[in-house]
Amino acid sequence: MDTVLIVISVTVVLVLWFVLHVYNGLVRMRNDVRNAWSDIDVQLTFRHDLVPGIVASVKGYMSHERQTLEAVAQARSAAMVTGADIGTRAVAEMALGRAVGNLLAVAERYPELKASQNFLILQEQLTTTENRIAFARQHYNEMVRQFNTSIAEFPRNLLAGMLGYSPEKLFAADAQDRAAVQVTT
Amino acid sequence: MSTPGTADAPRPFTPRDPETFFKAQRRNRRATWRMSALCIFAAFLMGIPLTLVLTPFLYAVTMVVAEVINHFSPLPAEFWQNASDLAKLAYRVADVLINQRGTVDPQDLAIGLALVLVPGIVLSLVLWVGILLLFRHGGVGGTLASLNARDPNSADLKELQLSDVVQEMAIAAGLPVPRMMLIDAPGANCAAIGTSATDAHIVLSRRLLDDLDREQLQALIAHMIASVGNGDLRIAFTVTSVFETCGLITTLINAPFGKQSRSTLWRIIRYPFRRGTAIARCADADEVAELLADTMDVNSTDIERFFDSGNAGLIRKTLRVVFFPFMFTNMAIELTLWFFLNLLLGPCMALLWRTRRYLADAGAVELTRNPDALASALQQLSNDTTAIAGGSWAAHLFVVNPSGDRSLRDIAPATDRQRKALEVWRATAKGAVGASSAVSNVVPITGVGLGAYADLRKEIMSTVKAAAAGDADAVARMQGFAAAMGGVQALGLKEMPNPKDIMLAQQGDRAAIARIRMLMQTGDRDVQPKRGQTGLQTHSFVSFHPPLEKREKRLQKMGAHLLVPTPTRGGMALKVFLVLLYLLIVPLLTVAGVLMLVVIALMICLNLLFLGLWLSVIHWAFAQDWGQNINAFEGFVEQVSAAFSKGR
Repeated sequence: MDTVLIVISVTVVLVLWFVLHVYNGLVRMRNDVRNAWSDIDVQLTFRHDLVPGIVASVKGYMSHERQTLEAVAQARSAAMVTGADIGTRAVAEMALGRAVGNLLAVAERYPELKASQNFLILQEQLTTTENRIAFARQHYNEMVRQFNTSIAEFPRNLLAGMLGYSPEKLFAADAQDRAAVQVTT
Repeated sequence: MSTPGTADAPRPFTPRDPETFFKAQRRNRRATWRMSALCIFAAFLMGIPLTLVLTPFLYAVTMVVAEVINHFSPLPAEFWQNASDLAKLAYRVADVLINQRGTVDPQDLAIGLALVLVPGIVLSLVLWVGILLLFRHGGVGGTLASLNARDPNSADLKELQLSDVVQEMAIAAGLPVPRMMLIDAPGANCAAIGTSATDAHIVLSRRLLDDLDREQLQALIAHMIASVGNGDLRIAFTVTSVFETCGLITTLINAPFGKQSRSTLWRIIRYPFRRGTAIARCADADEVAELLADTMDVNSTDIERFFDSGNAGLIRKTLRVVFFPFMFTNMAIELTLWFFLNLLLGPCMALLWRTRRYLADAGAVELTRNPDALASALQQLSNDTTAIAGGSWAAHLFVVNPSGDRSLRDIAPATDRQRKALEVWRATAKGAVGASSAVSNVVPITGVGLGAYADLRKEIMSTVKAAAAGDADAVARMQGFAAAMGGVQALGLKEMPNPKDIMLAQQGDRAAIARIRMLMQTGDRDVQPKRGQTGLQTHSFVSFHPPLEKREKRLQKMGAHLLVPTPTRGGMALKVFLVLLYLLIVPLLTVAGVLMLVVIALMICLNLLFLGLWLSVIHWAFAQDWGQNINAFEGFVEQVSAAFSKGR
């Protein structure tokens, strides 16, 4: 009788310990994902704030590149009104990234602009903004990959299903999202 | 030597057994575990002779203290009985173990071993934990101060770029942004210092910014941030603390003999109670660490001075006799520490640290997804001077060995870069050829290939010489070339000044002249470290930095496109010669090592013998009833005088 009791209590303690361990791990990983997402969000907002200033500062040099400048402004406003869905947001933000890159490429054609120190600083600012977004995205996607693998693996998937954890979405554009957003470049 | 000129054709790029960065990181993590186990084993091995010296010394000191106390207020008889029993037991066990005489039951054996081993181990552990606690909150500021580090200047485009790159990499790793500090040094190098990820500082020399392009810089910063993220700072701290503990043990043993050790000890004791700003405390910690490192030198002079100084007074002479056995303890400990640190524990820790470097390389590739950038950055640093003056205590923290690593110097850059160099050189030639005598002497190169690339190098070198002599066209050409290529160091040229600096120097810019002069002075010679700033590197037979060539090969497995030549060393004759040399040297070295061990064992035995003699003399001195003796002597004198008076 005593041995049975001991075996049962040990098993219960072990199971409880396992559940706690898995639960804490899941919570930590989901928080990592959320944290990484807020990092992306910060960087994207930073770019939204940066773009008008850049357009204003190159406008004087390249007045007859109206189309390029307008494309940037349009892409920005399109990116700012997308909802919470990660997929559609990814598409819109990527369009903005392309428009800004295009602007830089066009600006390289203007010698007096290219030679100025201000433009070099501006160029560095844009490069770093694009890089930050790219790296934040890389980090976010890596965190999501880890989280998704973790909740799909065997003993954990039982508990994850019960606790209502579902796979997070990668910050990337698939065909369905592309169709949902009207992209003008 | 295989220079690009002698290689017949560019080989196609085929990495052997490719490896993803995830796999590489897992492999290096496992290697770290293995090396840590090896380190613990090495520390254990080193602990045996150390505790054989320390334990008798501790017992001797305890017994002397007991004798003194006993003299004033007699200790219970049980204490002496127990001490005597234990001593007899130890003697019996030693007799069994060494002379194979008599028998001993396992319980006695265990007690005997515990008697010998436990006090030494406990003392070492206590000192180690003390060092860990002491230096837990210090060191960064002091190192920064000794490196003359400054904050980056955001008005400078390159330095703005640097802080951007650091932020990008911190985002990629999901870590807090570490602080950046710049050093205005002629060498190009960088290091991560600190005690944890939250107080991590990345120190970087200004020259690195001038020599590397944005992607290469990003790769190096990624290496640093990956290293911080992997917890290397903690490991570095632990490794350093082990060396510092060895220094502290030597200091403690030396303390009765000399001022230097006493002042070091006093500073260590005072350190935790010090008030003042954090920076002052950090500087203090750094200074204490360096003092400890200095004590580790075998030719530390305190004890020699104590026993050698010529005109010693009576007190000094008496002290010499009293402390004579300590000299053997001291020598035995210093010899043991020196031998085992250099040949056993040091190399193990160096290899452990190397696995962390490979791990951080793989981490950098994970963060940047650009193995080429890191590979070319390392190659560039192999061509640059990497010496950083000051702070050699932190030499192992730098990304490339500050005393230079030339293993990648003669490697040809990837073929596309060679082709680009040729094209750019030809493009810049149009204006310059004909105008300057130095340049026009050289036959214009034609064709594309490795032969042409070797010619290109020669031509660039002659142009550099012309530029240094003050030829304005040559300077202009070099400048244009460097601007188009993003630095010329990657082309396998030796350290050459920045073309911009030459231009500025000609216009009389003092700072540029100073930079060029510093460069000339460092040149190919290694910077000699100051005494007391030797760092961990000198306490290990094996370098803490993995050879760049090996790092490059591992990067190649992760997809870097850099051609590392397979070294084509001489023919059969050379191989036979090398084998013979090794056959001769290896037994010699083994014999030398065994002799050292015998010397250490002898020192330990002598130490035991003298401590024993010393104890028995002291015991005899205390056991004598001096009062009765004096009474007897007085009585004798009285009798003699009485006899004299009677006779008279």
